[in-house]
Amino acid sequence: EEKKRFSIQRLNKHQMAAPFTLRKIGVPPNSANLTEARRRVFDFFRAACRSIPTIMDIYNLQDVVAPSQLRFTISAQIRNNAHVTDPKVIDLLLFKGMEELTDIVDHAKQRHHIIGQYVVGEGLVQNTGSKDQGKSDFLKNFYTSNYF
Amino acid sequence: MGVGILASRAIRPASRLLRSQPSNLFLRTIVSKPELQSPEAAAVSQPEPPKNQILPPRNPVGGARVHFTNPEDAIEVFVDGYAVKVPKGFTVLQACEVAGVDIPRFCYHSRLSIAGNCRMCLVEVEKSPKPVASCAMPALPGMKIKTDTPIAKKAREGVMEFLLMNHPLDCPICDQGGECDLQDQSMAFGSDRGRFTEMKRSVVDKNLGPLVKTVMTRCIQCTRCVRFASEVAGVQDLGMLGRGSGEEIGTYVEKLMTSELSGNVIDICPVGALTSKPFAFKARNWELKGTETIDVSDAVGSNIRVDSRGPEVMRIIPRLNEDINEEWISDKTRFSYDGLKRQRLSDPMIRDSDGRFKAVSWRDALAVVGDIIHQVKSDEIVGIAGQLSDAESMMVLKDFVNRMGSDNVWCEGTAVGVDADLRYSYLMNSSISGLENADLFLLVGTQPRVEAAMVNARICKTVRASNAKVAYIGPPADFNYDCKHLGTGPDTLKEIAEGRHPFCSALKNAKNPAIIVGAGLFNRTDKDAILSAVESIAQANNVVRPDWNGLNYLLLYAAQAAALDLGLIQQSAKALESAKFVYLMGADDVDVDKIPKDAFVVYQGHHGDKAVYRANVILPASAFTEKEGTYENTEGFTQQTVPAVPTVGDARDDWKIVRALSEVSGVNLPYNSIEGVRSRIKSVAPNLVHTDEREPAAFGPSLKPECKETMSTTPFKPVVENFYMTNAITRASKIMAQCSAVLLKK
Repeated sequence: EEKKRFSIQRLNKHQMAAPFTLRKIGVPPNSANLTEARRRVFDFFRAACRSIPTIMDIYNLQDVVAPSQLRFTISAQIRNNAHVTDPKVIDLLLFKGMEELTDIVDHAKQRHHIIGQYVVGEGLVQNTGSKDQGKSDFLKNFYTSNYF
Repeated sequence: MGVGILASRAIRPASRLLRSQPSNLFLRTIVSKPELQSPEAAAVSQPEPPKNQILPPRNPVGGARVHFTNPEDAIEVFVDGYAVKVPKGFTVLQACEVAGVDIPRFCYHSRLSIAGNCRMCLVEVEKSPKPVASCAMPALPGMKIKTDTPIAKKAREGVMEFLLMNHPLDCPICDQGGECDLQDQSMAFGSDRGRFTEMKRSVVDKNLGPLVKTVMTRCIQCTRCVRFASEVAGVQDLGMLGRGSGEEIGTYVEKLMTSELSGNVIDICPVGALTSKPFAFKARNWELKGTETIDVSDAVGSNIRVDSRGPEVMRIIPRLNEDINEEWISDKTRFSYDGLKRQRLSDPMIRDSDGRFKAVSWRDALAVVGDIIHQVKSDEIVGIAGQLSDAESMMVLKDFVNRMGSDNVWCEGTAVGVDADLRYSYLMNSSISGLENADLFLLVGTQPRVEAAMVNARICKTVRASNAKVAYIGPPADFNYDCKHLGTGPDTLKEIAEGRHPFCSALKNAKNPAIIVGAGLFNRTDKDAILSAVESIAQANNVVRPDWNGLNYLLLYAAQAAALDLGLIQQSAKALESAKFVYLMGADDVDVDKIPKDAFVVYQGHHGDKAVYRANVILPASAFTEKEGTYENTEGFTQQTVPAVPTVGDARDDWKIVRALSEVSGVNLPYNSIEGVRSRIKSVAPNLVHTDEREPAAFGPSLKPECKETMSTTPFKPVVENFYMTNAITRASKIMAQCSAVLLKK
């Protein structure tokens, strides 16, 4: 269980040579019921939040984001799927989330991916809402492009 | 290949042939039948078509309509066995066109006089000893015309063979490849092999200017360009020199083609002898996408087809519209497209404190403008629409400025006091095609040659066809038809109005007199007096009648008619001098010095032309090839442009920018789509919504009140100094710069 909970391992410099062979994708399939799936979701969230300092260190995000902002982004993405009730679907989503998290921690992505997908840009919750909240569809489309 | 090799194989091992002939399937004896030897024998052996055959109905070529001027005078001819009724003066070729048979031709053009020198249109007519040139032979009643007999086909093959004898093998490097009449007709009607083994002749190229590229070796001496230049353009520049195979088309002296219609010879020439110099070697016609749209360089609204390849406009070709521009367009329309690629505004910009422009996002630019507009008083807001603005953007601009509380929104070119109450006072009331019925023209303060080249072409056509007389009052100018110069200023006009001028008798005797007044006169201070003098002339000489309205006003800009219909008029002369917020929507002819130094100027347009240098904020808009806009031409005919290429950079459509600005400023306009804007236009000027229809003016001059002012004595000045540089696009064009340097008469 210990191994399962702290299933993300920080690779030291020796292990960096073979980055993709040592990682463990720790979420086993087949949750029995919704409660177990929920528990796995929270475990995943905790694992992700605990790897935030590592991520900020790897990608030098100290001046770009605050850890609370990254936690908010992760929770928003999980909350996006809050309506799902099928345990198998939850398992699959968790598998994909874990895969993504492992990739990020393994330095398989680059800084611009992290910034573009999790920090700024359209579609992210913290960006939609502040500037364009009260504006009409016309204005939103106008700012995007000429063809609408 | 096959027959020759078989023949040679048959000759060599003769003994083998004799032994193996019956069983060898790859050899066959060469036979010839009498029908294949000569066309006459073939004609003899053809079976007679069964009599009383029910033939399928045929439509005229190209869906054309036949106009019978005198229905009793129709004659009946038989084309390939099909009976067809044609008007009396029709030629055999025209009769075949009515019957749906397209006869190949090189020198014949429906809008030019008949030459009959290419001989490609030869058809067989019964009871005629030899094939006749159908373009020149009048159709007689009961004539039996046959176009697909062996004699006609042999004639075509022969003519094609002769034409190709001296024609250079230039197809890979010729610009006309893919749209060449010679290529198409040799594929359709020519024989498959040639017999020419001698040397071909070549001809030295002529320099006709920066617009028309000449490779005279390719010329087939059809003389279409000669006839076009002398008849339609009215200049006798080109001619045929020499005889026989030494014939050359050219200007005998080293002269350039300075006519404003010179680009049309490129369309007329059936081969690649005269091609477009700016378009040379740029693209092939099959890789271009054609978009049918409208030209906005002048108020005529010529129909054009924009050929584009990707995001770039490659060339502009005329489209047929019998009422407006027939098949011609002026040089400015045709060649100013390369101005669309230079000096384009692509990002919103704000002028920094150090005076330089900085590119910003749309949010910031609109936020800045929206802030500033609330800091000025309502009557200090001024909106000016440019000469290339479409009706939708002018409607939204007027709505926005009115909602901000100001009445100062007008279109450039309309001075103070021009009122748009009665439409007859700014439209061409006899319509451009109606000018053909006039027999006397009086041009007041206008030079149609540089202001609206298509109207000038129509006047030239009328003068040529029915010997109409033309007289003009204004600065001395070159006209390509005979006209009398009556005077230079309002004095002559006063004399004619009072009946003292000798020209008045000509006016009284004319059946359909036409008076064309230039819109440049609207900018004069004594405009009311001049226009009332013109109207009194019209009244005295029965110019305005129920069946003929000859009082015409020639507008200068594409946006003027729609602006006046929508009500964008200048109410007060001091509006610009006391303005604190000026919104220029493509307006470059505004006198920038008149704008106060502390005014905040927003320039919305597609080119960085003159007014940009005074602007504080630049909002990039789309040009006429990139947007769908409604334009009304000088006769009141509403047309729409179609987007041919995508917008440049971050530019938006004009009306969308003003609508977004209004929303950012807190003004709620009740529409947010183009259909909404059009329904708003419908409530203001419904004729602008009925595209491809002409709405004539409802009332005549009888409603206008008397004018008390006196005319000043300053003579009329020319409005257009440089024909090739009149708007933002043409001023940015390199080809137009070359033309104005080389082709203008100094």
